[in-house]
Amino acid sequence: MERILEVKDITKVYQEGNIRVVAVDSVSLTLNRGEVLLIMGPSGSGKSTLLSMMGCILRPTQGEVIINGQVVSDLSEDTLPYIRRQYIGFSFQSFNLFPSLTASENVEVVLRLKGLNKKRPRQKALNLLEKVGLGERVDFYPRDLSGGEKQRVTFARALAGDPSIILADEPTANLDSKTGREVLGLLKDLAVESAKAVAIVSHDPKAEALAHRIVFLEDGRIK
Amino acid sequence: MIWLALKTLIHEKGRLFITLMGITFSTILVLTQVGIYLGMMGYATAIIRHTDADIWIASKNIQNFDFALPFPEERINRVSAIPDVLWAERLVLTWGFLKLTDGGQEQVQIVGYNPDTGIGAPWSMLVGSPSDVKGGRYMIIDKTSEQRLGRLEIGTVWELNEKRFKLVGLSKGIKSFTTSPVIFMSYNHAQNVYGMVGAEQTSYIVAKLKDKRKIREVVRDLNATMKDNDVFTREGFIFKTVMYWTVQTGLGMGFFLTAILALAIGGAIVGQTIYANTMEHLKEFGTLKALGARNEDIYKVIFSQAGINAGIGYLVGSIFILFARGSIERAGVPLYLSPGIFFTLFFIMILTCLLSAYFSVRRIKTLDPVMVFRG
Ligand SMILES: Nc1ncnc2c1ncn2[C@@H]1O[C@H](COP(=O)(O)OP(=O)(O)OP(=O)(O)O)[C@@H](O)[C@H]1O
Ligand SMILES: [Mg+2]
Repeated sequence: MERILEVKDITKVYQEGNIRVVAVDSVSLTLNRGEVLLIMGPSGSGKSTLLSMMGCILRPTQGEVIINGQVVSDLSEDTLPYIRRQYIGFSFQSFNLFPSLTASENVEVVLRLKGLNKKRPRQKALNLLEKVGLGERVDFYPRDLSGGEKQRVTFARALAGDPSIILADEPTANLDSKTGREVLGLLKDLAVESAKAVAIVSHDPKAEALAHRIVFLEDGRIK
Repeated sequence: MIWLALKTLIHEKGRLFITLMGITFSTILVLTQVGIYLGMMGYATAIIRHTDADIWIASKNIQNFDFALPFPEERINRVSAIPDVLWAERLVLTWGFLKLTDGGQEQVQIVGYNPDTGIGAPWSMLVGSPSDVKGGRYMIIDKTSEQRLGRLEIGTVWELNEKRFKLVGLSKGIKSFTTSPVIFMSYNHAQNVYGMVGAEQTSYIVAKLKDKRKIREVVRDLNATMKDNDVFTREGFIFKTVMYWTVQTGLGMGFFLTAILALAIGGAIVGQTIYANTMEHLKEFGTLKALGARNEDIYKVIFSQAGINAGIGYLVGSIFILFARGSIERAGVPLYLSPGIFFTLFFIMILTCLLSAYFSVRRIKTLDPVMVFRG
C-alpha cells in the first residue's frame, strides 16, 4: 500500500498564560491510499488537534508531517494553502457550510478555489453531489438540508478537486445511527474505490467495524 | 472569487439595499457638490475662457474677474507696440441697474466689447449676432436672464442706468458668477453707461501673441513696464479667479468640504457593512482558509464586495443625477458634469470604499484556519 501521509513524532503544546497543555504528545502514524484510519479517544484527548496538524492547518510544536514524501510541517504560511488544495479534503464536525450558497455552490466554491472553474464547475459539483447521494438536493440551501444531508455536502466538498487525503472530524456526531452508518459506509467506499486515504476522528463504535486501522488517543498519546 | 462576493452580497438583500441606498445618496451629494462648484467656477471664468486672448491686463491688485477697476485705455498702445503682440483689444466690465417693466430694478453685469473685432463678444447666440450692438444704444441679454428680468423680446427698449437701450439679440447660457444677468453692448456705450468706467477708461486690455511660446517673456516685460497694472496669462487669470472664489472667500471650500464629507460617509457605510459582513462570516473565511484559500483569495472576496457595492451605488446615483440634471439647471443652479468628472469621481468612490474595506481585510490576515475545529 502506498504511503501518502506520515506523521513523525509530533507534539502540540498549547501555552495559555501559565497553563501549558500538551494536546498531542509524540504521536507517529502513517496513512495509506485506499485505507480508512480511525482515530478514537475520549474528549480532549487531542484528536482534532492531531487531525489539524495532518491537514496542515496547525503547525506542530515538534515533529514532522510528511505528505507524498515532502516535509510540509515547516513550510511557510504562503506555501501551505497550495499543499492543502492539492492533497487535503476536509470534512468538519460542525459542517462549516456557507449559508449563502446552495449545496452545489458550496462544492463549487472549492473547485473555484482550486482553479478548476474553467471547465464547468457546476457540472462537476453536481457529479460530486450525485456521488454522495445528494443528486436531488443540489439547489437547496444548508438551512433546508437535514444533518445527514449537510454531512454529505461536506464530503462532496472534501472530494472536490480530487485530493488524495480525506480528513473527517466526527462525521457521525450529528447524525442518527442509521444515517451515521450510511455516511460511514460512503466514506469507506470512497477510500476503496478512488484509492484515497481517509482518516476519521470519531467516538462512534459503528466506525470501528469499517476502519482498516484504529488508533486510540489518550492525553495526547497513542495507546 | 468575485463570484463568491456576489453570492454573499445577494444573500443578504436587506443589508445590500441599505448599503446601496447609502452609497447612492453619497454619490448624489458628491456629484452635485462637485458639479455645482465646477459650474460656478465655469461661470466665474466664462468670459476669460471664451475670449481668444493669451494675455489679460487688469487694474493693479485685482482679485478676480468680476472686480475690475478702470484704468486709462491709452495704455493699449504700450501693449500693441510689443513686436510679439498680434493684436490688443480693450474690454469693459462694469455694473448697472436695469429697470424692469414692473417698476423694480435688477443689478446687471455689463460687458462692453468692440463689435468690429468681436473680442469679448457673446460666444453663443440664440437670436441676432454680436455685431448687432454696433452704432447705437443696443444690447444683447442672455436668455437665461428671463428668470430675473421677465420676458425678453427683441426690439423692446429698456432703461439701464437711466439711459435707454434697445434689445437687439439674445445670447445663450452666458451667466456671471454673481448670478446677475449679463448684458453685452459696444465698448463705447459701456464706458459711459454709468460713469463708473468713464470715457477713455477701460477695465481690461487683452492681447493675442504671434507666437504663444513667447508668453512668459511678454508677460514679464509687460509687468516690468506697466507698474500700475497686473498682467496675467489667460490661465493665470483663470487660476486667480478660481482661487479667489475657492480659497479667499471660502465658498469653494464649502463645496469641497461637503463633497469630501459625502465621500467619507459613502466610504464609512461601505466600510461598516463590509466589516459587519466579514465579522459575521469569519467562520466561513476560516473554512475557506482550511480548504486551501490563500489570504489573497479572501482579500479578493472582501474587496470585491466593497467594489460591487461602491460601483452599483455610484451607478444608481449617477443615473439619478443624469435624470435630475435638467431640473436642477432649470432651477438656476449651475451644474457642470462631464464624462471625465463622472469617471474621476467613480474611481475616487471605488478607491474610498476599497480603502474602507481594508480594516476588514486586516482581520483576515490573523485569522487562524484551525478555528474550524472549534465548534
Ligand atoms: N487553541 C487552544 N488553546 C489551548 N488549548 C487547546 C486549544 N485547542 C485545544 N486545546 C486543548 O487541547 C486538548 C485537546 O483538544 P482537542 O480539541 O484536540 O481534543 P479532542 O480529542 O478533539 O476533543 P473532542 O472529542 O471533545 O473534540 C484539550 O485539552 C483542549 O482543551
Ligand atoms: Mg475534537
